[in-house]
Amino acid sequence: MRRILAAGLLSLLPLSAFAQEADNAAPAVALPEAEVTKVMTAAVDGFIRPGYDALGVSAEAMAASMKTLCDAPSKANLAASRTEFGKLAASWAHIEIVRVGPVIEQNRFERILFYPDRKSTGLKQVQAILSKSDETATDAKTLGTKSVATQGLGALEYLLFGTGSETLAADKNSFRCRYGAAVAGNVGNVAKELSDIWDAPDGIQKAWEQPGPDNPAFRTGGEAITALLGILVHGAEAVRDQRIETFYKGADKVTFPKQALFWRSENTWPMVAANLSGLSSLLEKSGMVALLDEKDRPVVSAIHVQLKAMTDLTAKIDPDLEKAVVNPADRKKLDALLADGKDVIAKLNDGYGGAIGLSSGFSFADGD
Amino acid sequence: MSFRGETIDRRNFLKAAGITFAAGLVPGSLMALERADAVYASGFRAPDGAFGIATVSERGEIIDRITLPARAHGLAFSPATGRAVAFARRPGTFAMAFDPARKAEPVIITSPVGRHFYGHGHFSPDGRLLYASENDFEGNRGMIGIYDAGQSFQRIGEFEAYGIGTHDMTVSDDGKMLVIANGGIETHPDFGRTKLNIDRMEPSLVLLDAKSGALIQKHTLPSSLAQLSTRHLDIADNGRIWFACQWEGARNALPPLAGWLSKGEDIALLDLPEETTVRLGNYVGAIAVNRRDGVVGLTSPVGGTAVTLDVKTGLVLKEDVLREAAGVAPAKSGIATSSYDGQFNQTRSRVAWDQHIVRIV
Repeated sequence: MRRILAAGLLSLLPLSAFAQEADNAAPAVALPEAEVTKVMTAAVDGFIRPGYDALGVSAEAMAASMKTLCDAPSKANLAASRTEFGKLAASWAHIEIVRVGPVIEQNRFERILFYPDRKSTGLKQVQAILSKSDETATDAKTLGTKSVATQGLGALEYLLFGTGSETLAADKNSFRCRYGAAVAGNVGNVAKELSDIWDAPDGIQKAWEQPGPDNPAFRTGGEAITALLGILVHGAEAVRDQRIETFYKGADKVTFPKQALFWRSENTWPMVAANLSGLSSLLEKSGMVALLDEKDRPVVSAIHVQLKAMTDLTAKIDPDLEKAVVNPADRKKLDALLADGKDVIAKLNDGYGGAIGLSSGFSFADGD
Repeated sequence: MSFRGETIDRRNFLKAAGITFAAGLVPGSLMALERADAVYASGFRAPDGAFGIATVSERGEIIDRITLPARAHGLAFSPATGRAVAFARRPGTFAMAFDPARKAEPVIITSPVGRHFYGHGHFSPDGRLLYASENDFEGNRGMIGIYDAGQSFQRIGEFEAYGIGTHDMTVSDDGKMLVIANGGIETHPDFGRTKLNIDRMEPSLVLLDAKSGALIQKHTLPSSLAQLSTRHLDIADNGRIWFACQWEGARNALPPLAGWLSKGEDIALLDLPEETTVRLGNYVGAIAVNRRDGVVGLTSPVGGTAVTLDVKTGLVLKEDVLREAAGVAPAKSGIATSSYDGQFNQTRSRVAWDQHIVRIV
């Protein structure tokens, strides 16, 4: 343990008549350390590290596709790049559910995806770069030092699908195309940073896999599993609150289809589906179910079933959101997604959370 | 949450509550109220997931319940008017003013556009004003909303909190100074409760002139403690302001978790014994001073611990194991505590008590 010293720190004399009733603290979640290590190792090695590696691979493929498009513009190559964008976005959505650790440091998350963006800051800044043909935006390294809203997937979506994107099929080595290639390179750079950090054997990987008194991330196994559950809870909340309710809050409510993530490229539902599959994959690959008593385990399979049903439903909603939000049949599906999302959150919060010892559920117990 | 020797006398509370309130109580609750030497209020979650506020006896028995539209966090109480307010948990946009004696209908207060409540607030000593910690989330700055605590709780102004992630706030006994704990953590309702700047936090403690909002003094923390979120406050009878912290840095560090300051003086951070810091899990969720007994209570849901300190020296007097420890408040003697798993002093109820308690009698 590392004591932090600072000016103004009052040192107190040891108290001889220390009326201490506690030999140890009483953490809410107490789990067998060996089992926890197994689960955390599986989560890191089976989901988190492969997730960032896959993002890097997708970004490379995107960069290659953009290079092809820039060198040989054509309708076919533009279509190929647009398809590649969908794959890259889905690859990010799968691992995006991890909103803890290095990804939320140094603006890495926002550098990959700046969203929500109610004031269209990203759009305005990307349009400004396009109008000025700012050459520093065509190099991934210098682009990486610009506003986060101009260097990630939001920018790339506009470049490939927004107003004027059809010029990509005609103009060789256009500024727009080279800017897009730099965005792909920038996303690849951030993905590599994340992979490197998670792959370092004595870094966060070890901290996550081996909780203990000298661990900088988790002092106990209970803390580690609570954090892992937190990824799932917050991930499920983000799908419902950030990705669906942003444009559809329920029957009789005003809708905002153009506030949806990637409405322009009709990648809203593939993103949601990839978020949901990410949640299911982390739950499965970590083997979190093994930490529960036999009687409590059905909650995990129920969560899987519900996530699968939600994923299936996303494929049945019109990808054109302006049409979907006015179509009564699609609105019913949207309502079902909101209701199912709430249910999944409750199952994770109270079901899994309660079963590992958080008597009032995960969210209730996150203090403030 | 503080008990400053000005709470309503129990007999007056019962008298003020009148027939309507007493008639609305089930016999067990009425007995509990009649036996109560102290009455508290706290937010809770019921087994069916519904949220509310309960008044609670000294023994921890539930006396009365009021339903809330969503989860509450901190509470304020005015001994001068008998009114209490429960604030929505961040990023909630409602607060509910209520009369624990049920003499008046509850009033829902809504934060203005572009603001949400941070979960805490305090009345002026005369009960005429209510101050609330709020987030100007587009400007990423903490604010103190000012409300006329008359019938309708109209918002009549605001002061800048001179920091981000404003959390708890309180008012000096003479009403001349506002004391603000800026936790230093950026949040935005678009991102729910996600902490957006853990690697560049800016915690601070601020004193404001209550009349003008002018900055009296602001204390930031040294860079080694940049991830020490200063979050909760109470004031001792000598005017010393106690604060409690939550550490967002490395889990194997041993940061100071509490301290004090006074007007015109620098902050002092308490170097608690290493084992106490460990048992608090680097996280203090609530703090309260019992002025009569000269003690300070700290609770940690992370560590499952309640700690009692000497208000003069800061020395640890007592530690109790309290699984999922939630709120603290000055008790008739010592410190009252609650927990997420339903424990409130010596009584366990089928509710999850929320993070804070306010003493009202």
